[in-house]
This record gives sequence, structure tokens and C-alpha cells, in this order.
Amino acid sequence: MEEQLIECDVLCVGGGIAGLMAAIRASELGANVVVAEKGNAHYSGCGRRGNDHFETWIPEVHGADKEKFIDELLKTAKGEILIGRDILRAQFGKAHEIVELWDEWGIPMRQKGKWEFAGHAFPGRMMTHIKYEGRFQKTVLVQQARKRGARIMNRIMVDELLRDGDRVIGAVGVHTREDKVFVFQAKAVILGTGKCSRLYQGLTPGMMFNDGHGGVQTGDGRAMAYRAGAELMNVEMPQRHIGPKYFAKFGQATWVGVLRDAEGKPVGPFVSEPDRRYGDIVMEVNKLAPEQYGERGRGPVYMDCTGISDEDAAYMRHWHIHEGNVSLVDHMDAEGIDPRKHPIEFSTYPLRGGGLIVANEKAETSLPGLYAAGDEAMGDISAAATFGWISGDTAATYARTVEHGDVEVTRPIIAALESRVDELRGRGNGPDWEEANIALQQVMTDYAGKVRNEARLLQGLAHLRRLRQKVDTEMMARNQHELGRCLEVHNLFDVGELTFHAALDRRESRGLHNRPDYPFKNPLLSQAHIVRMEGDRPVTDWRSY
Amino acid sequence: MPPIINPDLCIKCDRCVNICTEDVFFGSKKHETPVITYPRECVHFNGCVDVCPVPGAIWLRYPMPSMIVYRTSSDYEAPPG
Repeated sequence: MEEQLIECDVLCVGGGIAGLMAAIRASELGANVVVAEKGNAHYSGCGRRGNDHFETWIPEVHGADKEKFIDELLKTAKGEILIGRDILRAQFGKAHEIVELWDEWGIPMRQKGKWEFAGHAFPGRMMTHIKYEGRFQKTVLVQQARKRGARIMNRIMVDELLRDGDRVIGAVGVHTREDKVFVFQAKAVILGTGKCSRLYQGLTPGMMFNDGHGGVQTGDGRAMAYRAGAELMNVEMPQRHIGPKYFAKFGQATWVGVLRDAEGKPVGPFVSEPDRRYGDIVMEVNKLAPEQYGERGRGPVYMDCTGISDEDAAYMRHWHIHEGNVSLVDHMDAEGIDPRKHPIEFSTYPLRGGGLIVANEKAETSLPGLYAAGDEAMGDISAAATFGWISGDTAATYARTVEHGDVEVTRPIIAALESRVDELRGRGNGPDWEEANIALQQVMTDYAGKVRNEARLLQGLAHLRRLRQKVDTEMMARNQHELGRCLEVHNLFDVGELTFHAALDRRESRGLHNRPDYPFKNPLLSQAHIVRMEGDRPVTDWRSY
Repeated sequence: MPPIINPDLCIKCDRCVNICTEDVFFGSKKHETPVITYPRECVHFNGCVDVCPVPGAIWLRYPMPSMIVYRTSSDYEAPPG
């Protein structure tokens, strides 16, 4: 196996919105930047095929006091989100500048020269999201990063961080097509590897890539951060989304319609007729509504756009395409589905792995030299773009103050990865990644899923560990592609195990963490639930944020 | 399962092979008609269709389990008999 050493000031792991924005900013500040992307940065990450809403404070629209904007968010959409105000201040102190930059670079953020606010909105309240044409945003950001000298290396999956003492001094990964290992000697590493799909059974069990985020965001960043000793938080708090039944596509606020029950009654109190300015925010207030209606014998629930004007239908179609829903539009066309005539059934999508890498308003994690941005740390396109930029700024500034570490002191970590690669590639029998992944999804869904209690969590954790032993000793990869998938499965097992530990430790019910053995929300636990590795075991802690 | 390539129209430019993040075309050889090795890993983002310079040379077939559910005016009528 060939081993290649790459030296850089700043290594961005993941070439999504956050990773590319980090690369752009760090390069601007004079850093020598490498982006390692396991797919192709033109079409990777949540923003790969576009977005159409960007949450931002715009001073000339909202007034000079951004605190009022943040107050409004906390009163409405973000009320239940466990994010500190300092994080929101950092995001909205920068987001409006990012919006101007994107517009300048060729991502149309203004419509006909003006800001257009629509969607994700409570009628009568402050509007918080601008519409933008994001279909080609990734291509623009790749060009901007390259223009500033960043080197984008596609098909490299970074799998372990390298540490000297407390400090992160690089990373090691594999090529997903060729038999090569890459050792990165970096003064700073930024993790922007996205969400955690494929941990729970999806919309169609076994068809793991029917997922609104794509199927390759497998918690790689949080898993490697944990293994390197960084802190994660709220890993046990899963996420769910809502959208068209059976075809997992996001864009809840892109629909010009009303969420209605089978009798035509609106599910929520916010809109009673389709209105392009608002969408129907009941889906953000309660993503469980379709599932609850079903359980109470009141389903199905539909996104009802019937009766909208041809102009509104064309508007919605335009924005679906920019939201990344080209395939949804194609599918509806091919099947003769016309939202003006046919209500579309919506469902609550299954659970997805939760948690974040702990990062502050400067995108610094708990380890020197390690930064996190995007869905690994904050979530949503505005946060990804903004904290991507902030992380690039912080990391490049830090890189000026330190010398390269000696990656040879981390040789045991590099050798362990190389040995794991040899084992996975060398086995001729045994479960492949898909079989192992399905087994993991099964135990996560049944034992750490919608309903959790202590006995079930303990039994599930024990079973997961037995599965893990098989994965460690028997899983096989027929080629480099499957090797990458196997490493993803390793990461998912780590996140799964941490989910069990943290769920056992959260003795309350809150959000999607439903523990009938502790049925009430405990206000004293409205804190960050920290998990980190001590020795080779996870330890948990609570901390205010 | 998607994607599907018409070998008569494919000009073997490798654009689809290069951009696919899931690498469903893994194992394709340079300047040969791409092979679809991992169709189950397609996420239907249409990137391959977008970058293909020849209309109709590549398209996506959406899998049956992903077909969306919609309501027509007659869906709630009782079935005959």
C-alpha cells in the first residue's frame, strides 16, 4: 500500500458548504489549504444540488439591532434548539456579509435586485429567510476556493485525526478508488463532514441511500473527533424531518401549500390557504404531525397545493429545482403528478443520528488545532456558510502561530489504520458493509429509537457490542470503494455506541428522546450533555452553554 | 435501478464517473462506457444527468419503493364490489 505525505497549513475535512467556505477564507489569509473530500466537491454534502432559503439578518431590512432578530428566532423557530446566544450572535454578525459575498461570486441571493423573504415564516411575524438560487452553489464555491489557491483532493476519506499531546497536528485517510493512504501534516484541521445518516432504518429499510442528505454523511467527523479525545454534545438527541412520503426529499418551506388531514382540515393554526410568502410552518413546529395523525387514526396527511395559480405553481417548481429537488420534479412529471390537482402525502421521516462536535463561536473545539463547522457543529445552510468562514479565519490565524507537529510520533495511529485496511481488504468471507450497516440500523431503531427505557437501552448496547466484535473481526471489503463504506460503518458503530451511553445518562424525556421510565422534562438538564473519551471509555458530563 | 446509460449515445467522456459522490460508477475505465457497479447507492441528485453533454445518453429511473403517494379525486371511492 502506497503512503503519501501531504503538508499544509489548514486541512479541511469534507468539501461541503462549510469546508469550502473555510478553504476560501483560510486561503485568503495566506494559508496553504487542502480540502480532502471523499466524493467530489462539486456534488457533495447537503448543499450539493442547491438550497433556496438562507437565514439571515439584513440590517437595512430588520433594523440595526441584530439582538431583536435573535430574540425573534428564539421566540419562534429556534426556541427549543440547544444553542448558546453567543453562537447565534456570531452567525448573524457574519451571515449578511456572506450573503453579499455569494451574490458577488455568482450565487443569486437577490431576486430582481431585491431581497425576497419567504418561507420558514409565521404569518404576521418577522421574516427571517431570504430566497436564493442555490442550484450551482457548490460549483461556484469550488471555483472560488481554487481561485484562492486551495487544493481540492477528491476521493479521499479522512478517517483518523493525528495528535501530539493535546494538539491536533494532522490526519490520515484512504483513497476510495486506489490502494493509497494519505497522511496529512497540518497545523490546523477543520471538520466539516456533515450529518449522520444511515444510523437508523430509513424510509425504506435496506435502501439506505433514499435519504434527503444523500447516504454518505455517516458522522465521520464526530466519530474521529471523539476517538481523538474531543468533546461531543447531545449525541442522544436524534433528529427527524418531514417531506413527501417514500421519496426522501427536503424543502418543507419550498411548497406553496397547506398541510391538511384526510378531511381537508389544516393540521396547524398558521395558514388556511396556500401562500407563497409563508409556506406552512406547522411542519417546523411539529415534524411528528403526520406520524401522530396516523397513530390516532386520522391520517393520511397531505401537502395540499390544490387550487394554486399557474404562477404560484411555476414559482414553486423554480424553487424546488434550486432547493435540489430536480429528481422530485422529474418524478412528478413522469408519473403525471400535478400539485395543482393532487395533494401529496407527507410523512415524518425516520430518525437520524444526532449530536454535534462541541465548538464555540470561533469554531474552536475542545482540542487545540481542531475546528468544526457545518452540520457537525451548528446545522443549516446559513450556519454552514458562516461558521465555515469563521473556522477558516480562526484556523488560518492559529496556523501562523505554530510549527508543524511531527506526524511520526503518531505512527501507531497511522499503522493501525493501515492494518485495518489490510484486514478489511484481505478477508474473503464475512459480512460486507451493507450487511453490517443493516444490522446496526436494526439495533438502533429497536433499542435506541422512538421509545427508550433503561433495560432496553442496556440490552441494545450489549447487542451492538456483539455486532461490533463481528464487524472488527469479520467485515470485508471487496475493493477500495467498499473499504470506504466499511470505514463509514466503523464510524456509525462509534456514534451508535455513544448514542446508547448518552441516552442511558439522560434520565428525562425531551424532544425526540422519549424515556417512559423518566417521563418528564427536567429543566435542570437544559444544558449541553457532553460525551468524551477517557482511557477507552466514554464519560458524560453536563455543562451550561 | 438508476442510472441508465444508452451506450449508443454515450461519448465516453467520463464526466458522470468523475462527479458522482457516491461513486456508483466505481470500476469504470477511462474513455469507456461507464459501468454501473453500485446502483443501490444512487441518491437521485441528477448530477450525472446534469453534466452529460449528450441529451438522452444517461437518465435516472426512480426505484419503485421511492414512488411518492398522491391523492386523485377517485382515490377515496370505495372499491367496486
